[in-house]
Amino acid sequence: MTWNLDRRQFIRLAGLTALTSTIPSFLGKTGRILAGEPHRDTAPLPGLKDNRVLVIVQLAGGNDGLNTLVPYADDSYYKMRPRIGIDAKKVLKLDDHLGLHPEMVELHQLFQEGGLAVVPNVGYPNPSRSHFRAMDIWETASPADQMWKTGWVGRYFDAECQGVPGAMLGLRLGEQAALTMAGERTRAATLANPSLLEVPATGALARGLEKINEVEPTGIDALDFIQRTGNETHGLARRLKAVVRDIKPAVDYPPFALCQSLRLVAQMIVAEVPTRVYYVTLGGFDTHAAQLNRQAGLLQELSQALRLFRKDLEVQGHLDRVLLLTFSEFGRRAAENKQLGTDHGTANVIFLLGGKVKPGLHGTPPDLIRLDAEGDPFHKVDFRSVYAGVLRDWLNADPDRVLGGRFESPSLVRA
Amino acid sequence: MWGSLFPATGRLLRPFAFALSLLLTAGVARAAEPAKALVWDADAARHLLSRAAFGGSPEEAERLAALPLEKAVDRLLDEAAAIPPPARPEWVRDVWINGGRRWSDMSREEYLIVLRRNSTRNAAELNDLRAWWLQQMIASKAPLRENMTLFWHGHFTSATGKVFSFTQGFYQQNATYRRDALGNFREFLEAVALDPVMLAYLDMERSNKAHPNENFARELMELFTLGVGNYTEKDIQEVARALTGWILDAPAGAVKVHRPTAPENMQFASITRDGMVPTFVAGQHDDGEKTVLGKTGRFGVKEVLDLIVSQPACGRHLAGRLIDYFGADDSGGTLRDRMAEAFRTQNYEIRPMLKVLFTAPEFYAPKARGAKVKGPVRLLVGACRDLRLEGSATPSLAQLTAQLGQELFNPLTVKGWPSGIAWISASTLPLRYRLGEALVDGKAPELPEPLGRLRLMAVSREPDKAQTTIKRLQAIDRERKQEQTQTQAGFSVHFNPSLLFAEGTPENPEELADALLKRLVVTKVRPATRDAVVAACRSVSPTERPALAARLILASPEYEME
Repeated sequence: MTWNLDRRQFIRLAGLTALTSTIPSFLGKTGRILAGEPHRDTAPLPGLKDNRVLVIVQLAGGNDGLNTLVPYADDSYYKMRPRIGIDAKKVLKLDDHLGLHPEMVELHQLFQEGGLAVVPNVGYPNPSRSHFRAMDIWETASPADQMWKTGWVGRYFDAECQGVPGAMLGLRLGEQAALTMAGERTRAATLANPSLLEVPATGALARGLEKINEVEPTGIDALDFIQRTGNETHGLARRLKAVVRDIKPAVDYPPFALCQSLRLVAQMIVAEVPTRVYYVTLGGFDTHAAQLNRQAGLLQELSQALRLFRKDLEVQGHLDRVLLLTFSEFGRRAAENKQLGTDHGTANVIFLLGGKVKPGLHGTPPDLIRLDAEGDPFHKVDFRSVYAGVLRDWLNADPDRVLGGRFESPSLVRA
Repeated sequence: MWGSLFPATGRLLRPFAFALSLLLTAGVARAAEPAKALVWDADAARHLLSRAAFGGSPEEAERLAALPLEKAVDRLLDEAAAIPPPARPEWVRDVWINGGRRWSDMSREEYLIVLRRNSTRNAAELNDLRAWWLQQMIASKAPLRENMTLFWHGHFTSATGKVFSFTQGFYQQNATYRRDALGNFREFLEAVALDPVMLAYLDMERSNKAHPNENFARELMELFTLGVGNYTEKDIQEVARALTGWILDAPAGAVKVHRPTAPENMQFASITRDGMVPTFVAGQHDDGEKTVLGKTGRFGVKEVLDLIVSQPACGRHLAGRLIDYFGADDSGGTLRDRMAEAFRTQNYEIRPMLKVLFTAPEFYAPKARGAKVKGPVRLLVGACRDLRLEGSATPSLAQLTAQLGQELFNPLTVKGWPSGIAWISASTLPLRYRLGEALVDGKAPELPEPLGRLRLMAVSREPDKAQTTIKRLQAIDRERKQEQTQTQAGFSVHFNPSLLFAEGTPENPEELADALLKRLVVTKVRPATRDAVVAACRSVSPTERPALAARLILASPEYEME
């Protein structure tokens, strides 16, 4: 038994077809896919022209990019990191200069199979080394010297999804709302667990709540909005309950945070829940001290979770609908510190995967000779140009309008 | 006890024998259109209490309506202005010295102990501060004062998410906002600019002539006073220069320890500042000439604030924010202009603006009544008051507002709290509907487990070994969960229906439903809600009815409205 696809379990899942008459149609469709229609067309999300989904994975705390995507052919790297540098022999090589951390076995395999895009040296001018500010900058896509109040996805919702129905166009799995999804209007939900949507009740209370939840227009806009949201959420709660119960993942996910979050996201994607953007977080990357073991665990989690998620979607025939993007608020100082850790730095690596991603290395190794005043490498790719590409090529949106400016964007998505 | 502390409007507003409905006309109206008539009656008074005072009972509304409108509003404002400040939490000190300093001769281990002790203490104080403020809002005899404090907290934002281990500073900010809530805006603004937490939050602390930080200067004009379009980027740069030179220092006379901070490259204010007294360091101030909003001079804080407050845009911006917060049907913008005029002609006082608002036909317009979504704090505080709950606010109760999207002292962005339907999302609405679980049944909503646990370290890639590790971690999680359930604090609130019905709680389901709906709901009641409450009451014994009816009403769309 491993965390990879378990063949017997997969075959057993085909049994879902027998249930089609008693379960909602979206689940029935899923049953048919599992029974052997691996690639199929799903309907567009309500109100949108396509059925694509974006999944954002936040690596909170500032992931050490230089030990994630290791410039193993560069002597300066080993000079600056005599004790925590990753041994070139153990690096999982991507080309003659760069390779992945030894715990990223699954992503290395995926890279070799042509399923992973790697963008090195992503950052922005005058970088902030404060978690708070840097996070805001990445989430709002603002210039470093401005505090914007809406997130880049929130502005996408405002600009491009005006007429799109749905109380959960965005979903953040976690405790706190994500600034990324904050817009003029609230289009995103924040859930630590989907069962939060349920209002537990039995007997007279449950019957009463059911009745109260009926929609009776009053002509008072806000009151009618609440009624509709309540009714829709009630339906959503039921649907999510069914999704969690009935959509069987095609792979086994271990019980760790990112794995389980992506397991749920995959279930929702397969069930065609009308959510356009998902946002999940893996925290703990603020490795000021003794970082080797900690980062190894985190990168193993990242690598396994992403690989399992991809496999799950692939087997269930939904991979072509999905683009996943990782980000972290900053990379870390090029030189190690006295505590066998690294301090806050700047440019960092981004990973993308999905059925339509343009695989490969989209960039060159960092320049570790010419560093900034703090001793950090300069960025080579502006993160807003990555966002611009995602907006234009994946979400069919106008990136200039959402980002408030023009950013030359590499195409990271196959047509 | 909250029950015995509710008094409020009733005691201070003596019922007038001549209960009259006054017909007032708007003071200012454009000649072209006839002034809209305003009927001041118990419904209008209920509306005023709902928006201004975290709600009011039908009896309180009737007593208020017995006064002429002007007098009624004056009475509310007088009460709010006159109430003395509440007793401070016991952990607040007279002199605050930063206990989180990191000295160069400290070993890493030594500092970690300091850090942990300091963070733990500040976190406990912060939990207590949130509960303490909620308690003030719930029990205040002049709720408008607390409501205005809440308004300013959303306007002049600071957040614990950025400024940590500084709980005393947040208490002091709260006390300042309460002190100046209905006072003079110009004086208030200076207190805000030099407020310790604000200095830290918007990076004015240690902004110096070599590197003026523009963060505070920008928000000062964009959010706090003028609004976008009423200043230039150049103004921001010039204001930033004028505001340089301020640090947070130990109080005068305190013995300063002359130990260097370590490590030298870590310049985080939280480990380098001595105290929280705003102190001007002339050598760090840019005393050159600046041109701000068309005027030139060697400006400092006072001059810049004078210039900003005297801009016509300032009153209009504040009026707009107040209208957004309290709600009014001001589609023509004339109410906003009248409020701005009152601000400008009455020496930038806040209270006259409120007077104009609370006596305006636009505020009482049919379209404005019962048409606004309550914010989470308003919802929780209002429910405690509406139900006359006995008990006191605990940190767990305060935590509820965080789950609803309004963690006190920690707005998501510098823009502060949203308003209206922005509070409602697929995740917050079901939790709002569960408020009755906490308040009526007195139990903390059982929140589900997080989706997964942290991996902590790399797990073996051999499946058997991995399974062993995972099983061990899961056993630890189960143990921890058990411990947690045993030590959970919970709520100390109690619902006693007899406090709501002086003449006895009605037993008849229809009567009980109508009486409770009248008491709790200020908007239109839909047949579905009334039918549901009546049917539920019919299906249980008379003693169970009030709590069940209250639970249902608290889970209705109508209760979300003010």
